[in-house]
Amino acid sequence: MLIEFKNVFVERERRLVLTDLSLTLSERRIGVIGPNGSGKSSFARLINGLLLPKTGQVCVDGLDTAQDVTAVRRKVGFVFQNPDNQIVFPVVHEDIEFGLKQRESDAKRRAMRAQAALERLGVGHLSERSVHTLSGGERQLVALAAVLATEPEILVFDEPTTQLDLRLRNRFEQHLAGLPQPALVVSHDLALMRQMNRVLVIDQGRLAFDGAPAAALDWYRAHCS
Amino acid sequence: MGSLYLPGHTWLHLAPAGLKLGILALGSAALMWVHSPGLLLVACMLVCLSAHWAGASLRHVWQQLRPLVWLLLVLGGLSVWSQGVLQALEMVLRLLTLVLAALVVSMTTPLTQMMQVVVWLLGPFQWLGWVNADKVALAFGLTLRLIPELGVQWQDIREAQLARGLVPSPLTMGVPMLLRTLRRADEIAEAIDARG
Repeated sequence: MLIEFKNVFVERERRLVLTDLSLTLSERRIGVIGPNGSGKSSFARLINGLLLPKTGQVCVDGLDTAQDVTAVRRKVGFVFQNPDNQIVFPVVHEDIEFGLKQRESDAKRRAMRAQAALERLGVGHLSERSVHTLSGGERQLVALAAVLATEPEILVFDEPTTQLDLRLRNRFEQHLAGLPQPALVVSHDLALMRQMNRVLVIDQGRLAFDGAPAAALDWYRAHCS
Repeated sequence: MGSLYLPGHTWLHLAPAGLKLGILALGSAALMWVHSPGLLLVACMLVCLSAHWAGASLRHVWQQLRPLVWLLLVLGGLSVWSQGVLQALEMVLRLLTLVLAALVVSMTTPLTQMMQVVVWLLGPFQWLGWVNADKVALAFGLTLRLIPELGVQWQDIREAQLARGLVPSPLTMGVPMLLRTLRRADEIAEAIDARG
């Protein structure tokens, strides 16, 4: 995995939310922390092409997110902060199969891949359930399964543990450790950040610190608390 | 995030979606030609029985029908005044049967199956290059999917206003409803985009 940000400026609703970002990401686990409204989610969205830079360029394995957005989105799986924003269909297996429609034409194979993704996270029994009957934690796991089913090469998580209780949060940490893909995790969960190979601190739209987890967390506590 | 679909494996769930929608369309048209309250009552009871076969509890059916009660009362009252009791009974029974039948189909048919029927129906038009059947089916599916959610949003906004001691009015409810609906549409579009 190689994600490159080249002189990136991002504007949302006529406000500059990310300023002059230039960096290259190639580590297996990358964490992103920062105060609320600092631009963390915008940073994550850039990698999937959900947000495009006003100026500059974001490339994922050589693919420009502005030019090759479909190819980039098939490469990068994005797990939203709120699973309700991500789950489109009312029944669990329908939602997961919907994400596979462009990748797998055979309906039986789609169903098998959807079930396999759920089983992998230990929630295979939820397949037939209506999404509105699931708990917040179960929805988060279903949203993750929907992304994993598409077998992305890179995963981006936007605050994945916000809605999870301690037990589910620990389970998520285990799942994350076991995933073969490189992952970028945006979170306020400092314990989770300790498991990363590299942590970026974003503050007021700028890359304020970039380094090893311990040093990044120290900097974050000293400057942003 | 509400939904009318009730997961299950009854014969109604297993029946092909096209067949159920076809029977619903033909049955609804046929009901317009029935002018006997007795026959309409039998049709209504048959549909109630099918709701029971579909595994729906009385409470679930009542929850779905509750918003319709006022409409039935108003229309029934107007009909009694203008046309008489028998005609009013006929109209209320017909409307109730139609809504219940549509509810049974919605409760037993997954959204993706309904979308496949739309794709099949639009097949000839797609062949002629007039429409993109998959896109129309997705728009149809998302519309059906969001209808129950509007009810949940309405309830949420109402509760938020009551909790602050405000009396909900059409204006104070309408504006946040519109904004929330537009935001939800953006979120769904983003979720679909994110999946490539």
